[in-house]
Amino acid sequence: MLVPEFVPAMFCLWYLPAIYTGFIVAFIALIGISINKSDIHVLILTDIVGLAMLVIVGAVGTDLAEALVLPGLVVELAEIMAISEILISREMRKKGKSSSLLPMPLSLDMEIMTTAPNFISLLLIGYGIFLTGFTGGAVAGGGILLYILSRKAQGLPVLVINGIGAISGIAWCLWIIGFLLFFVKPDFWLLSLFLAACGLLLKVASKMGLIATLMREEFKRE
Amino acid sequence: MLELSLWFYTGCFLAIVGSLATVWGPGVKDPIVRTLNTEIPSIGVSLILLTYNHTLALLTFMATSVIISLILLRAITRLEEIGTKV
Repeated sequence: MLVPEFVPAMFCLWYLPAIYTGFIVAFIALIGISINKSDIHVLILTDIVGLAMLVIVGAVGTDLAEALVLPGLVVELAEIMAISEILISREMRKKGKSSSLLPMPLSLDMEIMTTAPNFISLLLIGYGIFLTGFTGGAVAGGGILLYILSRKAQGLPVLVINGIGAISGIAWCLWIIGFLLFFVKPDFWLLSLFLAACGLLLKVASKMGLIATLMREEFKRE
Repeated sequence: MLELSLWFYTGCFLAIVGSLATVWGPGVKDPIVRTLNTEIPSIGVSLILLTYNHTLALLTFMATSVIISLILLRAITRLEEIGTKV
Protein backbone atom coordinates (compact mmCIF):
# COMPACT_ATOMS: atom_id res chain seq x y z
CA MET A 1 0.00 0.00 0.00
CA LEU A 2 1.26 3.48 -0.89
CA VAL A 3 0.87 5.50 2.30
CA PRO A 4 3.21 8.40 3.17
CA GLU A 5 4.98 7.85 6.52
CA PHE A 6 3.58 11.02 8.10
CA VAL A 7 0.06 9.59 8.05
CA PRO A 8 -0.68 8.16 11.51
CA ALA A 9 -1.26 4.40 11.65
CA MET A 10 -4.71 5.02 13.17
CA PHE A 11 -5.87 6.87 10.04
CA CYS A 12 -4.95 3.82 7.93
CA LEU A 13 -6.98 1.67 10.30
CA TRP A 14 -9.98 4.01 9.98
CA TYR A 15 -9.83 4.19 6.21
CA LEU A 16 -12.08 1.21 5.47
CA PRO A 17 -14.77 1.99 8.08
CA ALA A 18 -14.94 5.59 6.87
CA ILE A 19 -15.24 4.53 3.22
CA TYR A 20 -17.97 2.02 4.09
CA THR A 21 -19.81 4.65 6.14
CA GLY A 22 -19.72 6.99 3.18
CA PHE A 23 -21.03 4.35 0.81
CA ILE A 24 -23.80 3.23 3.19
CA VAL A 25 -24.95 6.83 3.77
CA ALA A 26 -24.87 7.55 0.03
CA PHE A 27 -26.83 4.34 -0.69
CA ILE A 28 -29.52 5.16 1.89
CA ALA A 29 -29.85 8.73 0.61
CA LEU A 30 -30.02 7.67 -3.05
CA ILE A 31 -32.74 5.10 -2.25
CA GLY A 32 -34.64 7.88 -0.47
CA ILE A 33 -34.28 10.10 -3.55
CA SER A 34 -35.58 7.34 -5.83
CA ILE A 35 -38.61 6.73 -3.58
CA ASN A 36 -39.65 10.35 -3.12
CA LYS A 37 -41.66 12.21 -5.70
CA SER A 38 -41.75 15.68 -4.18
CA ASP A 39 -39.04 18.05 -5.41
CA ILE A 40 -38.27 19.72 -2.11
CA HIS A 41 -37.81 16.33 -0.38
CA VAL A 42 -35.35 15.32 -3.09
CA LEU A 43 -33.46 18.59 -2.55
CA ILE A 44 -33.18 17.91 1.19
CA LEU A 45 -31.91 14.37 0.54
CA THR A 46 -29.27 15.74 -1.86
CA ASP A 47 -27.75 17.37 1.22
CA ILE A 48 -27.25 13.88 2.72
CA VAL A 49 -25.50 12.66 -0.46
CA GLY A 50 -23.15 15.63 -0.07
CA LEU A 51 -22.37 14.48 3.48
CA ALA A 52 -21.45 11.02 2.18
CA MET A 53 -19.08 12.67 -0.30
CA LEU A 54 -17.47 14.60 2.57
CA VAL A 55 -16.89 11.43 4.60
CA ILE A 56 -15.25 9.66 1.64
CA VAL A 57 -13.00 12.63 0.86
CA GLY A 58 -12.17 13.21 4.53
CA ALA A 59 -11.10 9.57 4.96
CA VAL A 60 -7.86 10.36 3.09
CA GLY A 61 -6.74 11.95 6.36
CA THR A 62 -4.00 14.28 5.07
CA ASP A 63 -3.93 17.94 4.10
CA LEU A 64 -5.07 16.86 0.65
CA ALA A 65 -8.41 15.88 2.18
CA GLU A 66 -8.77 19.29 3.75
CA ALA A 67 -7.92 20.98 0.47
CA LEU A 68 -10.57 18.89 -1.31
CA VAL A 69 -13.28 19.26 1.35
CA LEU A 70 -13.33 23.08 1.16
CA PRO A 71 -14.26 23.40 -2.56
CA GLY A 72 -16.65 20.47 -2.17
CA LEU A 73 -18.49 22.34 0.55
CA VAL A 74 -18.64 25.58 -1.41
CA VAL A 75 -19.87 23.81 -4.55
CA GLU A 76 -22.54 21.96 -2.55
CA LEU A 77 -23.73 25.21 -1.00
CA ALA A 78 -23.92 26.96 -4.38
CA GLU A 79 -25.72 23.98 -5.90
CA ILE A 80 -28.41 23.82 -3.21
CA MET A 81 -28.88 27.61 -3.37
CA ALA A 82 -29.30 27.56 -7.17
CA ILE A 83 -31.62 24.53 -7.25
CA SER A 84 -33.88 25.93 -4.53
CA GLU A 85 -34.18 29.21 -6.45
CA ILE A 86 -35.02 27.32 -9.67
CA LEU A 87 -37.59 25.23 -7.81
CA ILE A 88 -39.29 28.29 -6.34
CA SER A 89 -39.37 30.23 -9.60
CA ARG A 90 -40.82 27.22 -11.44
CA GLU A 91 -43.58 26.83 -8.87
CA MET A 92 -44.26 30.56 -9.06
CA ARG A 93 -44.69 30.33 -12.81
CA LYS A 94 -46.95 27.27 -12.51
CA LYS A 95 -49.26 28.88 -9.96
CA GLY A 96 -48.99 32.38 -11.38
CA LYS A 97 -48.40 33.73 -7.88
CA SER A 98 -45.41 35.48 -6.43
CA SER A 99 -44.05 35.12 -2.93
CA SER A 100 -42.14 37.56 -0.79
CA LEU A 101 -38.40 37.29 -1.00
CA LEU A 102 -37.96 37.01 2.74
CA PRO A 103 -40.95 35.29 4.34
CA MET A 104 -39.72 35.79 7.88
CA PRO A 105 -40.34 39.04 9.73
CA LEU A 106 -36.92 40.55 10.21
CA SER A 107 -36.15 44.07 11.25
CA LEU A 108 -32.66 45.23 12.09
CA ASP A 109 -33.81 47.71 14.71
CA MET A 110 -31.28 46.95 17.38
CA GLU A 111 -29.32 49.51 19.34
CA ILE A 112 -26.07 47.65 18.70
CA MET A 113 -26.49 48.28 14.97
CA THR A 114 -26.12 52.03 15.49
CA THR A 115 -23.52 52.26 18.24
CA ALA A 116 -21.10 49.35 17.91
CA PRO A 117 -20.38 48.65 14.20
CA ASN A 118 -17.62 51.23 13.74
CA PHE A 119 -15.40 49.71 16.37
CA ILE A 120 -16.30 46.05 15.86
CA SER A 121 -15.90 46.14 12.08
CA LEU A 122 -12.55 47.96 12.39
CA LEU A 123 -11.39 45.25 14.80
CA LEU A 124 -12.60 42.45 12.53
CA ILE A 125 -11.06 43.94 9.38
CA GLY A 126 -7.73 44.53 11.13
CA TYR A 127 -7.63 41.00 12.49
CA GLY A 128 -8.65 39.58 9.10
CA ILE A 129 -5.83 41.42 7.32
CA PHE A 130 -3.42 40.12 9.96
CA LEU A 131 -4.61 36.54 9.35
CA THR A 132 -4.65 36.71 5.50
CA GLY A 133 -5.86 33.84 3.34
CA PHE A 134 -9.31 32.28 3.35
CA THR A 135 -9.93 32.62 7.10
CA GLY A 136 -8.75 36.22 7.13
CA GLY A 137 -10.98 37.01 4.18
CA ALA A 138 -13.96 35.54 6.01
CA VAL A 139 -13.19 37.53 9.18
CA ALA A 140 -12.58 40.81 7.32
CA GLY A 141 -15.66 40.16 5.16
CA GLY A 142 -17.68 39.70 8.36
CA GLY A 143 -16.52 43.14 9.44
CA ILE A 144 -17.52 44.69 6.10
CA LEU A 145 -20.86 42.86 6.23
CA LEU A 146 -21.59 44.22 9.70
CA TYR A 147 -20.61 47.76 8.69
CA ILE A 148 -22.71 47.83 5.52
CA LEU A 149 -25.72 46.14 7.15
CA SER A 150 -25.81 48.70 9.91
CA ARG A 151 -27.20 51.99 8.66
CA LYS A 152 -23.86 53.76 8.70
CA ALA A 153 -23.14 53.50 4.97
CA GLN A 154 -26.51 53.73 3.29
CA GLY A 155 -26.88 54.54 -0.39
CA LEU A 156 -23.64 53.10 -1.72
CA PRO A 157 -23.16 54.52 -5.25
CA VAL A 158 -22.91 52.17 -8.23
CA LEU A 159 -19.30 53.21 -8.75
CA VAL A 160 -18.31 51.70 -5.41
CA ILE A 161 -20.03 48.39 -6.22
CA ASN A 162 -18.20 48.29 -9.56
CA GLY A 163 -15.01 49.08 -7.69
CA ILE A 164 -15.52 46.11 -5.39
CA GLY A 165 -15.88 43.94 -8.50
CA ALA A 166 -12.61 45.33 -9.86
CA ILE A 167 -10.83 44.53 -6.59
CA SER A 168 -12.09 40.99 -6.96
CA GLY A 169 -10.54 40.74 -10.44
CA ILE A 170 -7.20 42.11 -9.22
CA ALA A 171 -7.29 39.57 -6.41
CA TRP A 172 -7.66 36.75 -8.92
CA CYS A 173 -4.66 38.10 -10.84
CA LEU A 174 -2.57 38.13 -7.63
CA TRP A 175 -3.62 34.58 -6.88
CA ILE A 176 -2.77 33.33 -10.36
CA ILE A 177 0.61 35.10 -10.38
CA GLY A 178 1.41 33.56 -7.01
CA PHE A 179 0.40 30.14 -8.26
CA LEU A 180 2.57 30.47 -11.39
CA LEU A 181 5.58 31.69 -9.40
CA PHE A 182 5.42 28.51 -7.32
CA PHE A 183 6.24 26.49 -10.43
CA VAL A 184 8.41 28.92 -12.39
CA LYS A 185 10.59 30.21 -9.55
CA PRO A 186 10.28 27.94 -6.48
CA ASP A 187 12.92 30.08 -4.71
CA PHE A 188 10.36 32.85 -4.33
CA TRP A 189 7.93 30.62 -2.43
CA LEU A 190 7.39 33.14 0.37
CA LEU A 191 6.49 35.91 -2.09
CA SER A 192 4.13 33.66 -4.03
CA LEU A 193 2.55 32.43 -0.79
CA PHE A 194 1.84 35.98 0.29
CA LEU A 195 0.55 36.93 -3.17
CA ALA A 196 -1.90 34.03 -3.06
CA ALA A 197 -2.89 34.72 0.56
CA CYS A 198 -3.52 38.44 -0.01
CA GLY A 199 -5.39 37.67 -3.23
CA LEU A 200 -7.68 35.28 -1.41
CA LEU A 201 -8.16 37.79 1.41
CA LEU A 202 -9.28 40.52 -1.02
CA LYS A 203 -11.43 38.06 -2.94
CA VAL A 204 -13.39 36.64 0.00
CA ALA A 205 -13.69 39.98 1.80
CA SER A 206 -14.99 41.80 -1.29
CA LYS A 207 -17.46 38.98 -2.01
CA MET A 208 -18.88 39.25 1.49
CA GLY A 209 -19.09 43.02 1.10
CA LEU A 210 -21.11 42.56 -2.09
CA ILE A 211 -23.44 40.09 -0.33
CA ALA A 212 -23.97 42.67 2.40
CA THR A 213 -24.80 45.34 -0.17
CA LEU A 214 -27.36 43.08 -1.85
CA MET A 215 -28.93 42.13 1.49
CA ARG A 216 -29.16 45.77 2.53
CA GLU A 217 -30.95 46.67 -0.68
CA GLU A 218 -33.49 43.90 0.05
CA PHE A 219 -34.17 45.18 3.56
CA LYS A 220 -34.48 48.74 2.36
CA ARG A 221 -37.08 47.79 -0.21
CA GLU A 222 -39.30 46.45 2.53
CA MET B 1 -8.89 9.16 28.97
CA LEU B 2 -11.32 8.14 26.30
CA GLU B 3 -10.11 6.30 23.25
CA LEU B 4 -9.89 8.47 20.13
CA SER B 5 -11.46 5.76 17.97
CA LEU B 6 -14.61 6.04 20.08
CA TRP B 7 -15.36 9.47 18.63
CA PHE B 8 -14.66 8.26 15.11
CA TYR B 9 -17.01 5.29 15.38
CA THR B 10 -19.64 7.45 17.11
CA GLY B 11 -19.42 9.77 14.13
CA CYS B 12 -19.85 6.90 11.66
CA PHE B 13 -22.81 5.55 13.67
CA LEU B 14 -24.47 8.98 13.85
CA ALA B 15 -23.96 9.53 10.12
CA ILE B 16 -25.62 6.22 9.20
CA VAL B 17 -28.45 6.44 11.77
CA GLY B 18 -29.05 10.08 10.94
CA SER B 19 -29.34 9.39 7.22
CA LEU B 20 -31.76 6.54 8.00
CA ALA B 21 -33.75 8.97 10.18
CA THR B 22 -33.82 11.50 7.36
CA VAL B 23 -35.08 8.99 4.80
CA TRP B 24 -37.47 6.82 6.85
CA GLY B 25 -37.70 8.52 10.24
CA PRO B 26 -40.97 9.44 11.96
CA GLY B 27 -42.75 12.49 10.62
CA VAL B 28 -40.53 13.04 7.61
CA LYS B 29 -43.56 13.71 5.43
CA ASP B 30 -43.22 17.23 6.76
CA PRO B 31 -40.22 18.78 4.96
CA ILE B 32 -39.31 20.91 7.99
CA VAL B 33 -38.92 17.78 10.14
CA ARG B 34 -36.81 16.25 7.38
CA THR B 35 -34.58 19.34 7.22
CA LEU B 36 -34.10 19.25 10.99
CA ASN B 37 -33.25 15.54 10.80
CA THR B 38 -30.36 16.29 8.43
CA GLU B 39 -28.61 17.88 11.40
CA ILE B 40 -27.98 14.43 12.93
CA PRO B 41 -25.74 13.09 10.11
CA SER B 42 -24.03 16.46 9.89
CA ILE B 43 -23.07 16.13 13.58
CA GLY B 44 -21.69 12.67 12.73
CA VAL B 45 -19.65 14.07 9.84
CA SER B 46 -18.38 16.84 12.14
CA LEU B 47 -17.13 14.20 14.60
CA ILE B 48 -15.39 12.30 11.79
CA LEU B 49 -13.67 15.48 10.54
CA LEU B 50 -12.74 16.32 14.15
CA THR B 51 -10.98 12.99 14.71
CA TYR B 52 -9.06 13.45 11.45
CA ASN B 53 -7.84 16.91 12.62
CA HIS B 54 -9.39 18.71 9.65
CA THR B 55 -9.79 22.02 11.49
CA LEU B 56 -10.48 24.33 8.55
CA ALA B 57 -12.75 21.80 6.90
CA LEU B 58 -14.69 21.40 10.15
CA LEU B 59 -15.13 25.16 10.61
CA THR B 60 -16.27 25.65 7.02
CA PHE B 61 -18.55 22.64 7.27
CA MET B 62 -20.28 24.01 10.36
CA ALA B 63 -20.82 27.37 8.66
CA THR B 64 -22.14 25.86 5.43
CA SER B 65 -24.44 23.39 7.18
CA VAL B 66 -26.09 26.28 9.03
CA ILE B 67 -26.44 28.26 5.78
CA ILE B 68 -27.81 25.22 3.92
CA SER B 69 -30.48 24.55 6.52
CA LEU B 70 -31.43 28.25 6.43
CA ILE B 71 -31.74 28.09 2.61
CA LEU B 72 -33.85 24.93 2.79
CA LEU B 73 -36.17 26.35 5.46
CA ARG B 74 -36.59 29.53 3.41
CA ALA B 75 -37.35 27.49 0.29
CA ILE B 76 -39.95 25.43 2.18
CA THR B 77 -41.70 28.48 3.62
CA ARG B 78 -41.74 30.22 0.25
CA LEU B 79 -43.15 27.15 -1.47
CA GLU B 80 -45.86 26.90 1.17
CA GLU B 81 -46.62 30.58 0.71
CA ILE B 82 -47.18 30.03 -3.01
CA GLY B 83 -49.54 27.19 -2.11
CA THR B 84 -47.68 24.17 -3.42
CA LYS B 85 -48.29 20.83 -1.79
CA VAL B 86 -44.87 20.05 -0.31
